[in-house]
Amino acid sequence: MRKLMKSMAVTLASALMLAAGAQAAEKVAVITPYLAQPGTQFYLEGFQAAAGEKGWDVNVIDTAGDVAAVISRIEDAVNQNVDAIVINVDPTQVAAGLEVAKQAEIPVIGMDSGADALLVTNVTSNGYAMAAETATYIADRIGGKGNVVMFVFDPFPPVQIRGVIADAVFGNFPDIEVIDRVTPDVQDGGIADSRAKMEAILAAHPEKGSIAAVWAAWDQPALGALQAIEDAGRADEGIVITGIDANPQAREAIAAGGNFEASVAQDFVGIGTATADAVARTLAGETIKERAIYVPAKLVTAANVDGQ
Amino acid sequence: MTFLKLDHVTKRYGAAAALDNASLEIEAGEVHALMGENGAGKSTLIKVLAGVVRPDDCSLHIDGSKVPLEGPDDAARQGFRFIHQELNIVPHLSVAENIVMAQAYPRRFGLAVDWRRVHDKAGAALERLDVDHIDTRRKTARLSTGDQMLVKIAATLVSSDAHPARLYVMDEPTAALTGQECDKLFAVIEGLKQSGASVLFVSHRMNEVMQNCDRVTIYRDGRTIETSRIAETSRERIIEAMTGRAIRDTYPARTGTPAREMFCTVEKLRTKHVDGLEFSLKRGEILGVAGLAESGQSEVLHAFLGDEKPLSGAVTFQDKQTLPSAPSVAWKRRIAYVPRERRREGLMLRRSIVDNAVLPHLGQLGSARIFSSRRKERIHTGAIAERVRLKYSRLGQPCYQLSGGNQQKVVFSRALGKTPELLLLDEPTRGVDVGAKFDIYTLVRGLSAAGSTTIMTSSDLPELIGMCDRILVMRDHRQHAIVETDGLTPARLLQMFYE
Amino acid sequence: MLSLVRRFGTLIGFCAIIVFFWMQLPETFLTPRNMLNISQQISMLAVVAFTMTIVMVMGDFDLSVGSMASLAGVAAAIVFSNDYPIYAGVAAALAVGAVGGLFNGFLVSYIGILPFVATLGTLTMFSGGAFLVSGGKTIFGRDIPSGFSGFARSGISLEWLGLQPLHLPYLTILAVAVLILVWIGLEHTPYGRRLYAIGGNYEAARLAGVKVRILRMSAFALTGLGAATAGLMYASRVASANPTQGSGLMLDAIAAVFLGMTMSEEGEPRVFATLVGVLILGVLDNGLTQMSVDSYVREVLVGAIVVLAVASSSIGKQRA
Repeated sequence: MRKLMKSMAVTLASALMLAAGAQAAEKVAVITPYLAQPGTQFYLEGFQAAAGEKGWDVNVIDTAGDVAAVISRIEDAVNQNVDAIVINVDPTQVAAGLEVAKQAEIPVIGMDSGADALLVTNVTSNGYAMAAETATYIADRIGGKGNVVMFVFDPFPPVQIRGVIADAVFGNFPDIEVIDRVTPDVQDGGIADSRAKMEAILAAHPEKGSIAAVWAAWDQPALGALQAIEDAGRADEGIVITGIDANPQAREAIAAGGNFEASVAQDFVGIGTATADAVARTLAGETIKERAIYVPAKLVTAANVDGQ
Repeated sequence: MTFLKLDHVTKRYGAAAALDNASLEIEAGEVHALMGENGAGKSTLIKVLAGVVRPDDCSLHIDGSKVPLEGPDDAARQGFRFIHQELNIVPHLSVAENIVMAQAYPRRFGLAVDWRRVHDKAGAALERLDVDHIDTRRKTARLSTGDQMLVKIAATLVSSDAHPARLYVMDEPTAALTGQECDKLFAVIEGLKQSGASVLFVSHRMNEVMQNCDRVTIYRDGRTIETSRIAETSRERIIEAMTGRAIRDTYPARTGTPAREMFCTVEKLRTKHVDGLEFSLKRGEILGVAGLAESGQSEVLHAFLGDEKPLSGAVTFQDKQTLPSAPSVAWKRRIAYVPRERRREGLMLRRSIVDNAVLPHLGQLGSARIFSSRRKERIHTGAIAERVRLKYSRLGQPCYQLSGGNQQKVVFSRALGKTPELLLLDEPTRGVDVGAKFDIYTLVRGLSAAGSTTIMTSSDLPELIGMCDRILVMRDHRQHAIVETDGLTPARLLQMFYE
Repeated sequence: MLSLVRRFGTLIGFCAIIVFFWMQLPETFLTPRNMLNISQQISMLAVVAFTMTIVMVMGDFDLSVGSMASLAGVAAAIVFSNDYPIYAGVAAALAVGAVGGLFNGFLVSYIGILPFVATLGTLTMFSGGAFLVSGGKTIFGRDIPSGFSGFARSGISLEWLGLQPLHLPYLTILAVAVLILVWIGLEHTPYGRRLYAIGGNYEAARLAGVKVRILRMSAFALTGLGAATAGLMYASRVASANPTQGSGLMLDAIAAVFLGMTMSEEGEPRVFATLVGVLILGVLDNGLTQMSVDSYVREVLVGAIVVLAVASSSIGKQRA
């Protein structure tokens, strides 16, 4: 047993050495429940690169989906008296932790987390701008004229604002008519139900050219619509489809050169870098006025999809 | 000719010596009895022979030359075979698999099990025992306890040819067997003996030892007391050697005449397992229930415990109540039960003596009707432990540390927590040593004199006749007869099982 | 020596962990603030583990506690979002817990399904139920009354101890209350003693007049109630309810009870031993975070320590 205890101590100590950096460096804790998700890893890539240049001691903490544990870890980080905390989780859910940080006067910066009065600022993509990109792309491609199908999801605020912008853009063209505004069932990810809904719409509008475009608030419905159109043998009618997020499946579809023509890619790495900048400004004593710092998103089309 | 000679066997557990310079000599081709009270060191000696307990000191000579005994492999190499008290069979496997299990299964192409040869091999083993009524394809769980024992013995016969069996060690093989099954077993033992093998036979049953063994070695407190030829010794001498005191192998005298007051009447009672019960019980009476193995004796007790639902007929107690509807109800009405399988149905082995003894009485031993009182429980248990002459080191001791006889006394302590109105005893002295048996007999007698009615089963017929006022004979799960024990002989009683 | 290790190995290990963190983090670990933090951080796991102990005393398991915690949180949030008062939401959540637990108990005790299988089934049912009533969404913001989420953020002021800015969190107080209730219930009432008897030998307990079926069912109901309580605590702490938020609790709770079982002579679950198990898990999380140990290394270490504790107690048992 003594031997076991000794080996345990050795393990702990080596773990400590792995993680502990220079003592004098500024300590920043990054806390997220979503480290396993691809987007989060890109944020971190950008953040870590910038932090490395600045010589910070960064501690990345993953709570494996457990939101309450994020609060616990914020408390621990405050107790450890870190210089700044970065979170990547809905701030209203971890308000208990943010209040503790505020009392200890430790700044907390959101990395695509959502706006909250308890955050110094939140670095994110501009949802309004992303929707405007794809909506204007469609209006442009169909010459400001024709029937458009929209796939939206109003219960989720970040997606809901995308729909509002698309409504405004299409509403500004007198010859564009939105013939359906569909909210797909998202239990299975959204592709299957969107496809079923699109098949029904295609059946209701059988004439060639009766549907000019499909605008989707995110990629999955766009992919579902694409499948429906191809299966109905109407791929050659020139129906334009757009999505948002530019996930790998969408990029593949865009690269294939079919109806799915465009999507918008958030600059995850850029958000990470910008978050590091915001942290640096805060640490330098600057008071950041903006509640949100937007990092521009890029329109992805067949022309630039390979370069990404 | 001496085949095996074991000397200077010492095994200590902490300060207590389970074996203290014990010895044992077995001749080739003899049936040698090993006797002693529970805790005398018999089980430890067997474990040493099997190589599963390493002694502090020991020397083993086989055929005059010294051989090592350091593990189960050494025991197997010397041709030792073990048949344990607790049947370690796998109930849901077939008879054949249980017999062949310890060996490599015969295979086809070195891969698939060759089932035909498995069954042939098992069948051959059973044949050597002259057993032809057991189908090797049956699930072992469906056999009677006696047949399971035969399967176990057959398994030891299928040993590899490299190390032929020379010594069979049987640890209380008859504890769970009926008289008929015992006879079968002794015929098998005789056959093994003829083949030149020796048998070390551990039993608490004096009759079996006197009738079937050649010599007996007696252990007491981990020491060898004596070894003698059966023909040259007597029951009384053996008991005296075992106990260190003179106890007569008989039953305590009745201390009073049973009251005339009626306790309950049973009319044409039928349950799922037993039928045709019709008798009445007087307060303080001891009723025995006898019959061939599994003829419904236990089920009679279960009916009174509320664990066997009546289908028709009626039981009326003197206070106008009928049979209890569940064991919990029975205990509330002071119907106490000592189950047949002490380890499976009786004790929580890893829990303390107190916890085991007070279980049905927890509600009454508490304070304010909500909380338990450990103090009251200890006082209660301590008093009863003294009454049943329980040997223990502390009341918080877990029960698995106690010997079989003392475990049984813990089960009795539970039943006596409140003076029972009706005491149900299912094989109350099975696997219990002579001294503890006598204590149990005395207790039951005392309770009877104080007015507790008792129903007990036993496969030990002299015990039933010695203890009971009347005996209910069961046959094929039906009441066959009810007889007074005055002047009844075991032979006459046995005859009633078959007639 | 070996038997000492077997009996007290886990406790010694726990002390060693504390001393280790104390030496590594002399200024921030063994402070009143951090102790209060830890107590609050582990409070939800503690409530689940304490009530899990009740069924484990009988040798049973309840795998559904995590999804029950989620379901209870969501149920309360739905009631809140329909503008019912706080007590109505809390009552609804607790009722869901009790009914779900009774259902588990019914399956195990009356239908006779193995607890592992039965509660694996209800785990999925409760989880599906939580998704169903919440529509798969996180319920947060104005739907959660501030009085409810405020509970997890406040406590009793410790001014009288001279620890002015600190307070003893209500979550901690609630966990301690559950601990005391379970301790009295299991070890100082006939009810709990009978549960231990069922764990010791089901058949023997039944034949000794213990009402095994109803007791077994009631124990599952209590575990369900505990899971629902933890679900409410969780929802209050994160001021929101989501259909998966409790799912991490189940494995940690079972691990805590197992850690505790290594401390008793006969390997029986005892609620105070479970507390040590919970503390070990909580202290490791807190201390390793403070030492900036990588999250994944942390998980490996925590798992290794659980295995080590159980191994040391069973090695001791084999030799003795």
